[in-house]
Amino acid sequence: MSVAERLLISRLKERDEQAFNEIVRLHGDKVFSLVYRMIGNRAEAEDIAQEVFVTVFKTIDGFRGEAKFTTWLLRIAANQCKNRIKYLARRATDPDGLDEGGHAGDAATVAPHVAPLTGQIDGPDVLLEAAELDGLMQRAIADLDEEQRLLVVLRDVEEMSYDEIGDVTGLPEGTIKSRLHRARMAIKDWLDQHTR
Amino acid sequence: MDHQQAADRFSDYLDGTLAPRDREALEAHLATCIQCRTSLTSFKRAVGSLGKLKQAAPPAFLPNIQKQIHARSRGRFFGKRWLLFGRVPFEWVSLAVIIGLLVYYIATIHGAPGGVHPAP
Repeated sequence: MSVAERLLISRLKERDEQAFNEIVRLHGDKVFSLVYRMIGNRAEAEDIAQEVFVTVFKTIDGFRGEAKFTTWLLRIAANQCKNRIKYLARRATDPDGLDEGGHAGDAATVAPHVAPLTGQIDGPDVLLEAAELDGLMQRAIADLDEEQRLLVVLRDVEEMSYDEIGDVTGLPEGTIKSRLHRARMAIKDWLDQHTR
Repeated sequence: MDHQQAADRFSDYLDGTLAPRDREALEAHLATCIQCRTSLTSFKRAVGSLGKLKQAAPPAFLPNIQKQIHARSRGRFFGKRWLLFGRVPFEWVSLAVIIGLLVYYIATIHGAPGGVHPAP
């Protein structure tokens, strides 16, 4: 952990509002991005991401600097996502609750502006570079189970190293690699199936 | 190498972590297998597309968190902490009250007009 980060966290422990703002500015996008890709719904994602920072500041005294702050933060975010996914699954979810066709458990949910899943849509070269890329990929991610989804998001969306992913998930590198490979293959197969 | 063995190596190949001997074997297979070449192209495209999915937080993200924290803590979250453990030091407050009561009790006993006085 850098000296600047240590100072920032120490100020945070003193309940310095400027330090709080700085932390949110530094890590807000990463946390929101992770949560949004895990959940697939913007409003839910914003709610969870906010809750992540509230939790961070409620529990900052427990952070002893053994792990990187980012790792600790993302671990909280990942846990909150998993809890919310379970909660949403239990609630048997609102069919209109997801953005851009993405879903935490029901890939059949499709926002109006996204091409329907049934039938073929335009070729990937056209689609993947167009506005539909986001919704299409989100649907492919939503088709994964939550563990695979987390690995794909951490590695391929957030571009984290295997070491960092290991710190966040607590999984050994070999397990991460094999699960990640299966997840990537599943996404490839999904895209092969739903594009031409 | 068969198709499955080739596909099993796509991630390591893409990450650049495949052992040199395995990489050569895979590349030799790809050179002769159009099915695996096509599959690898789709695989690369899928993984590459994931890299474009980073999402920025909404503009009101920070103000919304601040609002939430202020509302939940009724404004007590931010600002200098109390003397001990980041909270009101109840132990010290209790001790001060006990000492105060003791002092008051002693002062009352010794200073009261109806107190015990030696006989003349």
